[in-house]
Amino acid sequence: MAAESGIGALDDAALARRVAAAGGRVDSQAESELYRRLARRVRLYGLRHLRDAHAAADLVQQVLLTTLERLRAGEVREPEKIASFVLGMCRMTVLEIRRGTWRREALLEKWAPASAGVTYGEAGTTYGGAEMTYEAPEPLVLDRERLTGCLGALAERERSVVLLSFFADKAADEVGAELGLTPGNVRVIRHRALGRLRECMELA
Amino acid sequence: MHGIGLETLIAYWLGELPAAEEEPLEEHLFACASCSARLEELAALAAGIRATVREGRVAAVISVPFLEALKRQGLRIREYRVAPGGRIDCTLRADEDAVVSRMQAPLAGVKRVDALRRMEVGGKVVFESRIDDVPFDPAAGEVLHLPSAAWVRGLPANTLRVRLVAVDEAGERALGEYTFAHTPG
Repeated sequence: MAAESGIGALDDAALARRVAAAGGRVDSQAESELYRRLARRVRLYGLRHLRDAHAAADLVQQVLLTTLERLRAGEVREPEKIASFVLGMCRMTVLEIRRGTWRREALLEKWAPASAGVTYGEAGTTYGGAEMTYEAPEPLVLDRERLTGCLGALAERERSVVLLSFFADKAADEVGAELGLTPGNVRVIRHRALGRLRECMELA
Repeated sequence: MHGIGLETLIAYWLGELPAAEEEPLEEHLFACASCSARLEELAALAAGIRATVREGRVAAVISVPFLEALKRQGLRIREYRVAPGGRIDCTLRADEDAVVSRMQAPLAGVKRVDALRRMEVGGKVVFESRIDDVPFDPAAGEVLHLPSAAWVRGLPANTLRVRLVAVDEAGERALGEYTFAHTPG
Protein backbone atom coordinates (compact mmCIF):
# COMPACT_ATOMS: atom_id res chain seq x y z
CA MET A 1 0.00 0.00 0.00
CA ALA A 2 2.86 2.35 0.85
CA ALA A 3 4.35 1.73 -2.58
CA GLU A 4 0.98 2.45 -4.23
CA SER A 5 0.49 5.70 -2.36
CA GLY A 6 4.06 6.57 -3.27
CA ILE A 7 3.46 6.05 -6.95
CA GLY A 8 0.18 7.96 -6.70
CA ALA A 9 2.05 10.98 -5.35
CA LEU A 10 4.26 11.22 -8.44
CA ASP A 11 3.25 13.63 -11.18
CA ASP A 12 2.80 12.54 -14.81
CA ALA A 13 6.31 13.64 -15.76
CA ALA A 14 7.95 11.68 -12.94
CA LEU A 15 6.01 8.58 -13.93
CA ALA A 16 7.04 8.98 -17.57
CA ARG A 17 10.69 9.37 -16.54
CA ARG A 18 10.46 6.18 -14.46
CA VAL A 19 9.01 4.23 -17.40
CA ALA A 20 11.73 5.58 -19.70
CA ALA A 21 14.50 4.92 -17.15
CA ALA A 22 13.61 1.26 -16.70
CA GLY A 23 15.79 0.38 -19.66
CA GLY A 24 15.22 -3.18 -20.80
CA ARG A 25 13.00 -3.88 -17.81
CA VAL A 26 9.38 -2.94 -17.22
CA ASP A 27 8.38 -0.64 -14.37
CA SER A 28 4.89 -2.10 -14.17
CA GLN A 29 3.78 0.12 -11.27
CA ALA A 30 4.72 3.32 -13.06
CA GLU A 31 3.26 2.10 -16.37
CA SER A 32 -0.06 1.07 -14.80
CA GLU A 33 -0.42 4.36 -12.95
CA LEU A 34 0.45 6.42 -16.04
CA TYR A 35 -1.99 4.40 -18.15
CA ARG A 36 -4.77 4.79 -15.58
CA ARG A 37 -4.31 8.57 -15.35
CA LEU A 38 -3.99 9.30 -19.03
CA ALA A 39 -6.74 6.89 -20.10
CA ARG A 40 -9.39 9.23 -18.66
CA ARG A 41 -8.09 12.21 -20.64
CA VAL A 42 -7.64 10.26 -23.90
CA ARG A 43 -11.14 8.82 -23.60
CA LEU A 44 -12.59 12.33 -23.20
CA TYR A 45 -10.64 13.50 -26.25
CA GLY A 46 -12.01 10.51 -28.17
CA LEU A 47 -15.59 11.16 -27.07
CA ARG A 48 -15.30 14.82 -28.01
CA HIS A 49 -13.87 14.20 -31.46
CA LEU A 50 -15.29 10.80 -32.41
CA ARG A 51 -18.64 10.90 -30.54
CA ASP A 52 -18.57 7.17 -29.99
CA ALA A 53 -17.72 5.32 -26.77
CA HIS A 54 -16.24 2.27 -28.50
CA ALA A 55 -14.11 4.38 -30.84
CA ALA A 56 -12.92 6.34 -27.79
CA ALA A 57 -11.98 3.08 -26.02
CA ASP A 58 -10.01 1.99 -29.10
CA LEU A 59 -8.25 5.35 -29.12
CA VAL A 60 -7.22 4.89 -25.48
CA GLN A 61 -5.61 1.54 -26.27
CA GLN A 62 -3.93 2.66 -29.48
CA VAL A 63 -2.49 5.86 -28.06
CA LEU A 64 -1.43 4.66 -24.62
CA LEU A 65 0.06 1.30 -25.57
CA THR A 66 2.07 3.05 -28.29
CA THR A 67 3.11 5.77 -25.83
CA LEU A 68 4.39 3.21 -23.31
CA GLU A 69 6.24 1.38 -26.09
CA ARG A 70 7.93 4.61 -27.19
CA LEU A 71 8.82 5.58 -23.62
CA ARG A 72 10.45 2.21 -22.99
CA ALA A 73 12.36 2.47 -26.27
CA GLY A 74 13.64 5.92 -25.33
CA GLU A 75 11.83 7.46 -28.29
CA VAL A 76 10.06 10.18 -26.28
CA ARG A 77 12.59 13.00 -26.23
CA GLU A 78 11.02 14.94 -23.37
CA PRO A 79 9.26 12.54 -20.97
CA GLU A 80 8.44 15.51 -18.73
CA LYS A 81 6.09 16.70 -21.51
CA ILE A 82 4.27 13.40 -21.65
CA ALA A 83 0.80 15.02 -21.62
CA SER A 84 1.64 17.01 -24.76
CA PHE A 85 3.10 13.92 -26.40
CA VAL A 86 -0.09 11.94 -25.71
CA LEU A 87 -2.28 14.79 -26.98
CA GLY A 88 -0.23 14.87 -30.18
CA MET A 89 -0.72 11.12 -30.59
CA CYS A 90 -4.47 11.57 -30.06
CA ARG A 91 -4.67 14.29 -32.72
CA MET A 92 -2.70 12.23 -35.22
CA THR A 93 -4.76 9.09 -34.62
CA VAL A 94 -8.10 10.91 -34.87
CA LEU A 95 -6.93 12.49 -38.14
CA GLU A 96 -6.08 9.01 -39.45
CA ILE A 97 -9.50 7.75 -38.36
CA ARG A 98 -11.21 10.64 -40.16
CA ARG A 99 -9.15 10.09 -43.30
CA GLY A 100 -10.08 6.43 -43.20
CA THR A 101 -6.43 5.36 -43.02
CA TRP A 102 -6.69 3.94 -39.49
CA ARG A 103 -7.75 0.34 -39.19
CA ARG A 104 -9.14 -1.15 -36.00
CA GLU A 105 -7.91 -4.51 -37.25
CA ALA A 106 -4.34 -3.19 -37.17
CA LEU A 107 -4.78 -2.34 -33.49
CA LEU A 108 -6.10 -5.83 -32.78
CA GLU A 109 -3.32 -7.48 -34.80
CA LYS A 110 -0.66 -5.51 -32.99
CA TRP A 111 -1.89 -6.02 -29.45
CA ALA A 112 -3.89 -9.23 -29.87
CA PRO A 113 -1.51 -11.72 -28.14
CA ALA A 114 -2.10 -10.28 -24.72
CA SER A 115 -5.27 -8.26 -25.21
CA ALA A 116 -7.40 -11.25 -26.23
CA GLY A 117 -9.92 -11.79 -23.48
CA VAL A 118 -9.37 -8.52 -21.65
CA THR A 119 -12.44 -6.53 -20.72
CA TYR A 120 -13.68 -3.27 -22.21
CA GLY A 121 -11.72 -1.01 -19.88
CA GLU A 122 -8.47 -2.93 -20.09
CA ALA A 123 -5.63 -3.21 -22.55
CA GLY A 124 -2.86 -5.74 -22.78
CA THR A 125 0.57 -5.99 -24.32
CA THR A 126 3.70 -8.07 -24.09
CA TYR A 127 7.20 -6.74 -23.53
CA GLY A 128 10.36 -8.73 -23.02
CA GLY A 129 8.28 -11.88 -22.77
CA ALA A 130 6.14 -10.45 -19.95
CA GLU A 131 2.38 -10.07 -20.40
CA MET A 132 0.95 -6.89 -18.96
CA THR A 133 -2.60 -5.69 -18.54
CA TYR A 134 -3.48 -2.06 -17.99
CA GLU A 135 -6.75 -0.91 -16.56
CA ALA A 136 -8.56 2.28 -17.51
CA PRO A 137 -10.84 3.78 -14.85
CA GLU A 138 -14.55 3.18 -15.40
CA PRO A 139 -16.29 6.16 -17.00
CA LEU A 140 -18.36 8.30 -14.66
CA VAL A 141 -22.01 7.18 -14.95
CA LEU A 142 -24.77 9.25 -13.40
CA ASP A 143 -27.88 7.93 -11.66
CA ARG A 144 -30.47 7.86 -14.45
CA GLU A 145 -33.54 8.05 -12.19
CA ARG A 146 -32.17 11.14 -10.53
CA LEU A 147 -31.17 12.71 -13.84
CA THR A 148 -34.69 12.09 -15.17
CA GLY A 149 -36.09 14.00 -12.19
CA CYS A 150 -33.57 16.82 -12.64
CA LEU A 151 -34.39 17.16 -16.34
CA GLY A 152 -38.08 17.18 -15.50
CA ALA A 153 -37.54 20.05 -13.07
CA LEU A 154 -36.10 22.33 -15.78
CA ALA A 155 -38.26 24.93 -17.49
CA GLU A 156 -39.65 23.73 -20.83
CA ARG A 157 -37.37 25.98 -22.86
CA GLU A 158 -34.31 24.94 -20.83
CA ARG A 159 -35.08 21.26 -21.32
CA SER A 160 -35.52 21.69 -25.08
CA VAL A 161 -32.21 23.53 -25.37
CA VAL A 162 -30.42 20.90 -23.26
CA LEU A 163 -31.82 18.01 -25.31
CA LEU A 164 -31.01 19.62 -28.63
CA SER A 165 -27.50 20.46 -27.44
CA PHE A 166 -26.53 17.19 -25.80
CA PHE A 167 -28.66 14.55 -27.48
CA ALA A 168 -28.18 15.87 -30.98
CA ASP A 169 -24.72 17.48 -30.33
CA LYS A 170 -25.82 20.80 -31.79
CA ALA A 171 -24.00 24.10 -31.41
CA ALA A 172 -25.78 27.23 -30.16
CA ASP A 173 -26.42 28.65 -33.63
CA GLU A 174 -28.11 25.43 -34.80
CA VAL A 175 -30.23 25.14 -31.66
CA GLY A 176 -31.20 28.79 -32.02
CA ALA A 177 -32.28 28.32 -35.63
CA GLU A 178 -34.51 25.41 -34.62
CA LEU A 179 -36.16 27.13 -31.68
CA GLY A 180 -36.40 30.70 -32.90
CA LEU A 181 -33.70 31.97 -30.52
CA THR A 182 -30.46 33.88 -31.02
CA PRO A 183 -27.22 31.92 -30.38
CA GLY A 184 -26.56 34.26 -27.45
CA ASN A 185 -29.94 33.39 -25.91
CA VAL A 186 -29.22 29.70 -26.38
CA ARG A 187 -25.88 30.05 -24.56
CA VAL A 188 -27.51 31.85 -21.65
CA ILE A 189 -30.32 29.27 -21.36
CA ARG A 190 -27.87 26.38 -21.80
CA HIS A 191 -25.48 27.68 -19.16
CA ARG A 192 -28.30 28.23 -16.66
CA ALA A 193 -29.83 24.80 -17.36
CA LEU A 194 -26.48 23.00 -17.04
CA GLY A 195 -25.83 24.83 -13.79
CA ARG A 196 -29.19 23.64 -12.46
CA LEU A 197 -28.58 20.09 -13.60
CA ARG A 198 -25.14 20.01 -11.98
CA GLU A 199 -26.58 21.36 -8.75
CA CYS A 200 -29.50 18.93 -8.82
CA MET A 201 -27.09 16.03 -9.49
CA GLU A 202 -24.76 17.34 -6.78
CA LEU A 203 -21.79 17.47 -9.11
CA ALA A 204 -18.76 19.39 -7.89
CA MET B 1 -5.01 28.92 -17.99
CA HIS B 2 -6.57 27.99 -14.65
CA GLY B 3 -10.09 26.94 -13.71
CA ILE B 4 -11.73 26.69 -17.13
CA GLY B 5 -15.30 28.00 -16.85
CA LEU B 6 -18.38 25.88 -17.46
CA GLU B 7 -19.41 27.87 -20.55
CA THR B 8 -15.99 27.31 -22.14
CA LEU B 9 -16.14 23.59 -21.38
CA ILE B 10 -19.65 23.40 -22.90
CA ALA B 11 -18.52 25.32 -25.99
CA TYR B 12 -15.52 22.99 -26.34
CA TRP B 13 -17.67 19.88 -25.95
CA LEU B 14 -20.12 21.08 -28.61
CA GLY B 15 -17.38 22.09 -31.07
CA GLU B 16 -18.11 25.81 -30.92
CA LEU B 17 -14.58 27.05 -30.26
CA PRO B 18 -12.30 28.17 -33.09
CA ALA B 19 -9.15 26.03 -33.54
CA ALA B 20 -6.99 28.84 -32.17
CA GLU B 21 -8.82 28.57 -28.83
CA GLU B 22 -9.44 24.84 -28.88
CA GLU B 23 -5.81 23.75 -29.20
CA PRO B 24 -4.41 25.50 -26.10
CA LEU B 25 -7.52 24.46 -24.18
CA GLU B 26 -6.83 20.81 -25.01
CA GLU B 27 -3.20 21.23 -23.95
CA HIS B 28 -4.46 22.49 -20.60
CA LEU B 29 -7.07 19.73 -20.24
CA PHE B 30 -4.41 17.07 -20.81
CA ALA B 31 -2.16 18.56 -18.14
CA CYS B 32 -4.78 19.57 -15.54
CA ALA B 33 -6.49 16.74 -13.64
CA SER B 34 -9.14 18.95 -12.03
CA CYS B 35 -10.23 20.56 -15.33
CA SER B 36 -10.37 17.18 -17.06
CA ALA B 37 -12.47 15.90 -14.12
CA ARG B 38 -14.95 18.75 -14.72
CA LEU B 39 -15.05 17.89 -18.41
CA GLU B 40 -15.69 14.26 -17.47
CA GLU B 41 -18.72 15.38 -15.45
CA LEU B 42 -20.01 17.25 -18.48
CA ALA B 43 -19.42 14.17 -20.67
CA ALA B 44 -21.28 12.04 -18.11
CA LEU B 45 -24.20 14.50 -18.14
CA ALA B 46 -24.30 14.38 -21.95
CA ALA B 47 -24.20 10.57 -21.94
CA GLY B 48 -26.91 10.47 -19.27
CA ILE B 49 -29.12 12.87 -21.24
CA ARG B 50 -28.77 10.73 -24.38
CA ALA B 51 -29.65 7.61 -22.40
CA THR B 52 -32.71 9.14 -20.73
CA VAL B 53 -34.03 10.26 -24.14
CA ARG B 54 -33.40 6.86 -25.73
CA GLU B 55 -35.08 5.13 -22.79
CA GLY B 56 -38.18 7.31 -23.17
CA ARG B 57 -37.87 8.91 -19.74
CA VAL B 58 -38.00 12.56 -20.78
CA ALA B 59 -40.84 14.76 -22.02
CA ALA B 60 -40.01 17.83 -24.07
CA VAL B 61 -41.13 20.20 -26.77
CA ILE B 62 -38.82 19.37 -29.67
CA SER B 63 -37.93 20.58 -33.16
CA VAL B 64 -38.35 18.81 -36.49
CA PRO B 65 -34.55 18.29 -36.84
CA PHE B 66 -34.51 16.77 -33.34
CA LEU B 67 -37.26 14.37 -34.39
CA GLU B 68 -35.15 13.42 -37.42
CA ALA B 69 -32.13 12.89 -35.12
CA LEU B 70 -34.19 10.50 -32.98
CA LYS B 71 -35.10 8.50 -36.09
CA ARG B 72 -31.49 8.45 -37.32
CA GLN B 73 -30.47 6.94 -34.03
CA GLY B 74 -32.83 4.07 -34.70
CA LEU B 75 -35.74 5.01 -32.44
CA ARG B 76 -39.13 3.90 -33.73
CA ILE B 77 -41.40 6.92 -33.53
CA ARG B 78 -45.17 7.11 -33.96
CA GLU B 79 -46.25 10.55 -35.15
CA TYR B 80 -49.64 12.22 -35.03
CA ARG B 81 -50.24 15.39 -37.04
CA VAL B 82 -53.23 17.32 -35.81
CA ALA B 83 -54.78 20.47 -37.29
CA PRO B 84 -56.33 23.13 -35.04
CA GLY B 85 -59.68 21.84 -33.80
CA GLY B 86 -58.68 18.30 -34.73
CA ARG B 87 -59.22 15.09 -32.78
CA ILE B 88 -57.18 11.96 -33.22
CA ASP B 89 -57.18 8.42 -31.80
CA CYS B 90 -53.71 7.59 -30.58
CA THR B 91 -51.65 4.91 -28.87
CA LEU B 92 -48.07 3.75 -28.33
CA ARG B 93 -47.43 0.13 -29.24
CA ALA B 94 -45.00 -2.11 -27.38
CA ASP B 95 -42.64 -2.27 -30.38
CA GLU B 96 -42.40 1.54 -30.61
CA ASP B 97 -40.01 3.73 -28.64
CA ALA B 98 -41.82 7.05 -28.61
CA VAL B 99 -44.80 9.03 -29.80
CA VAL B 100 -44.71 12.63 -31.03
CA SER B 101 -47.69 14.92 -31.44
CA ARG B 102 -47.31 17.51 -34.20
CA MET B 103 -49.79 20.30 -33.56
CA GLN B 104 -50.21 22.54 -36.59
CA ALA B 105 -50.61 26.22 -35.69
CA PRO B 106 -50.33 29.66 -37.32
CA LEU B 107 -47.09 30.74 -35.63
CA ALA B 108 -45.92 33.55 -37.93
CA GLY B 109 -45.44 36.71 -35.91
CA VAL B 110 -46.09 34.93 -32.62
CA LYS B 111 -43.76 35.92 -29.79
CA ARG B 112 -44.63 33.41 -27.11
CA VAL B 113 -46.70 30.25 -26.97
CA ASP B 114 -48.16 28.65 -23.85
CA ALA B 115 -49.72 25.17 -23.82
CA LEU B 116 -52.72 24.39 -21.60
CA ARG B 117 -53.34 20.69 -21.06
CA ARG B 118 -56.27 18.85 -19.52
CA MET B 119 -56.58 15.07 -19.25
CA GLU B 120 -59.83 13.24 -18.55
CA VAL B 121 -60.25 9.59 -17.62
CA GLY B 122 -63.80 8.25 -17.68
CA GLY B 123 -65.19 11.77 -17.84
CA LYS B 124 -63.22 12.97 -14.78
CA VAL B 125 -60.43 15.50 -15.02
CA VAL B 126 -57.25 13.85 -13.67
CA PHE B 127 -54.84 16.65 -14.36
CA GLU B 128 -54.61 20.15 -15.72
CA SER B 129 -51.39 22.00 -16.39
CA ARG B 130 -50.04 25.01 -18.18
CA ILE B 131 -46.63 25.00 -19.81
CA ASP B 132 -45.38 28.55 -20.16
CA ASP B 133 -43.23 29.74 -23.01
CA VAL B 134 -42.85 26.57 -25.05
CA PRO B 135 -40.04 26.74 -27.60
CA PHE B 136 -41.08 26.79 -31.25
CA ASP B 137 -39.76 27.62 -34.70
CA PRO B 138 -42.10 30.31 -36.13
CA ALA B 139 -41.36 29.11 -39.66
CA ALA B 140 -42.22 25.47 -38.90
CA GLY B 141 -45.94 26.11 -38.42
CA GLU B 142 -46.22 23.40 -35.79
CA VAL B 143 -45.38 22.62 -32.18
CA LEU B 144 -43.95 19.16 -31.58
CA HIS B 145 -44.36 17.47 -28.21
CA LEU B 146 -42.51 14.34 -27.16
CA PRO B 147 -44.10 12.92 -23.99
CA SER B 148 -42.18 10.47 -21.84
CA ALA B 149 -42.85 7.04 -23.36
CA ALA B 150 -42.62 5.49 -19.90
CA TRP B 151 -45.39 7.84 -18.73
CA VAL B 152 -47.57 7.17 -21.80
CA ARG B 153 -47.26 3.39 -21.33
CA GLY B 154 -48.62 3.71 -17.80
CA LEU B 155 -51.71 5.69 -18.81
CA PRO B 156 -55.22 4.25 -18.91
CA ALA B 157 -57.55 5.14 -21.79
CA ASN B 158 -57.92 8.92 -21.60
CA THR B 159 -58.66 12.08 -23.49
CA LEU B 160 -56.02 14.80 -23.52
CA ARG B 161 -56.95 18.27 -24.71
CA VAL B 162 -54.17 20.69 -25.53
CA ARG B 163 -54.82 24.36 -26.18
CA LEU B 164 -52.03 26.45 -27.65
CA VAL B 165 -52.27 30.17 -26.99
CA ALA B 166 -50.21 33.06 -28.30
CA VAL B 167 -49.18 35.48 -25.57
CA ASP B 168 -48.14 39.08 -26.08
CA GLU B 169 -48.63 42.55 -24.59
CA ALA B 170 -52.28 42.57 -25.72
CA GLY B 171 -53.05 39.35 -23.86
CA GLU B 172 -53.77 35.83 -25.09
CA ARG B 173 -55.37 34.46 -28.23
CA ALA B 174 -56.06 30.86 -29.10
CA LEU B 175 -53.91 29.26 -31.82
CA GLY B 176 -55.70 25.93 -31.76
CA GLU B 177 -57.16 23.17 -29.64
CA TYR B 178 -56.18 19.55 -30.18
CA THR B 179 -57.77 16.41 -28.77
CA PHE B 180 -55.89 13.13 -28.31
CA ALA B 181 -58.03 10.08 -27.50
CA HIS B 182 -55.52 7.62 -26.11
CA THR B 183 -55.94 3.88 -25.77
CA PRO B 184 -53.15 1.76 -24.23
CA GLY B 185 -51.02 -0.05 -26.84
